[in-house]
Amino acid sequence: MRASRRLGAAAGLAAAFAAFPVSAGEKPAAPGWPSRVVSLNLCADELVLRLADRAQVAAVTAFARDSRGSTVAAEAAGVPVTRGLAEEIVALKPDLVVAGAFTTRTTVGLLKRIGVPPLELGVPADFDGVRAQIRQVAAAVGHPERGEAMVAELDATLAHVVPAARSLRVLVLRPNAFTVSPGTLGDAIIRAAGLVNVAAAIGRDRTGSVPLEAAALADADLVVVDASETGTPSLADALLHHPILERLRGQGRMVAIPNRLWTCPGPQIAELVARLAAAARERAP
Amino acid sequence: MTPPMTPPVTRMTPQTRSRRLVAGLGLLVGLLTLASVAVGYAALDLPAALGDAWAGRPTLPALVLMELRLPRALLGALVGFSLGLTGAVMQGYLRNPLADPGILGVSSAAALGAVMVFHGGLAGSLALALPLGGIAGAALAALGIVVLAARGTGTQGLILAGIGLSSLAGALTALVLNLAPNPYAALEIVFWLMGSLADRSLDHVRLCLPLMAIGWVLMLSTARALDALALGEDIAASLGFDLVSVRLRIVTGAALAVGSGVAVSGAIGFVGLVVPHLVRPLVGARPTPSLWPSGLLGAALVLGADLLVRLVPTRPELKLGVVTALVGAPFLIALLVRRGDGR
Repeated sequence: MRASRRLGAAAGLAAAFAAFPVSAGEKPAAPGWPSRVVSLNLCADELVLRLADRAQVAAVTAFARDSRGSTVAAEAAGVPVTRGLAEEIVALKPDLVVAGAFTTRTTVGLLKRIGVPPLELGVPADFDGVRAQIRQVAAAVGHPERGEAMVAELDATLAHVVPAARSLRVLVLRPNAFTVSPGTLGDAIIRAAGLVNVAAAIGRDRTGSVPLEAAALADADLVVVDASETGTPSLADALLHHPILERLRGQGRMVAIPNRLWTCPGPQIAELVARLAAAARERAP
Repeated sequence: MTPPMTPPVTRMTPQTRSRRLVAGLGLLVGLLTLASVAVGYAALDLPAALGDAWAGRPTLPALVLMELRLPRALLGALVGFSLGLTGAVMQGYLRNPLADPGILGVSSAAALGAVMVFHGGLAGSLALALPLGGIAGAALAALGIVVLAARGTGTQGLILAGIGLSSLAGALTALVLNLAPNPYAALEIVFWLMGSLADRSLDHVRLCLPLMAIGWVLMLSTARALDALALGEDIAASLGFDLVSVRLRIVTGAALAVGSGVAVSGAIGFVGLVVPHLVRPLVGARPTPSLWPSGLLGAALVLGADLLVRLVPTRPELKLGVVTALVGAPFLIALLVRRGDGR
């Protein structure tokens, strides 16, 4: 599996060189816009792959290809990947580097020193922040109109969301029992779906993880867990199959939603709002 | 089986003391188990939860009590008993005051076995594979130690071999976890190397209890032989003990007890080292009267450490091995220094 992945990467690299610099069938970015975009963070990957032309993208992170966490696994197939190491990035001679504000700090520091100022994406805490970030990346890669279209689509999906009859109490449990802290984008998503985030009322640790007993005693109407069954076990995932959560599942309180929808602040958050609202309508028609 | 051996014709005090100590420690373990059930992260109405659980009503408090609090307390006692007893048996058999499943690498090897089974996906298809993986790892390590001892390797040599084995098993565990395709796996080495009882379930108790119990019985069955071995292997053999059988029972027993424990709680260090040393001043140097008290004190130590990690305000909670190492590591250093002085 690893070997095939490596082969895939090699094939992708070859394809990238073959396709470069002319991209077929896509409207080229205006002259003066970046032609070698490198992204250093999964959330940056998602926006770059959606907003830039394929030929503009020199490399994304290896995470982009993992469909469990990434919403652009299909788009990332064949795109060269890096591990975000400074030497890899410099060798790619990027003219735009899109990084997360909290990841690959050493690489970002080096890029600044050698004069390739990276575009650093923060972590938006609300929908306006998401819209702004989409527009920011779209402008940086030279396709502002695609950013506007993406924002319009997001808003259209949100406008069609029908909340449940009463506002249910919801608790999100991601692997390792990480939950959604108040004041974050996840919290805004829960509110947009017409739900109340129970995590505000129970003891979270600094990393946003909750003890399972606090999670159970919170008595949430809905417990949102990861939908994907990877077949690649970890203790973090096994925790979500603890007998006490299986009992809640038996009571119809569990909702499974793919982890990748929660990972990044992109257009997928509209789908997340819609799915949460649909689950709530099912539970409280 | 083993021929009965008349106890040394001296005072009976060690035996009586041991019995009293066992009763006292048993009470302590009982109290700590109750305390462990009572302490948690969320307010739980214990009487109501107990009432619901008794009446079979699956209310949330009853579920928390039965599926989270109880397994955590039980596992603390079971794993602690296994580690304490194994430490006492190993120290007796190897005639080595530094012997401990953690220091000799048995726990790390068990963790490696459990990690290979769990992250390799075998535990998903067959639940029993998890403790069996731990037992296989522990058995190989224990066998290695015993073979080294049989070849005449001294105390220091065994400890050094154990340290080497621990490092190797730790490194291989890290390798397996890093090769595991699940992105969370690599971070989980802390659990396997330091141990934790957080959010375990009754399934874990069911998995490890029967195997552990067999291990305890095997190890306890060697008590008289251990007493005889204190006089030397030749004397023990001349007293009619089958040393091959003794060795086999100790290796199998330690592997079953430690291996199945580590498979569900990770490797918790130093318990087996410290506990027999605390017990010996009370019951004397003979192995037999120290076995049950060592097991019980081990249970008390792990239960106490597990209470502590929940009571100190660090979140995420400390791993159990951190607390036991805070107690055990200075103890080990003191033992080593004292041995050095004796030369």
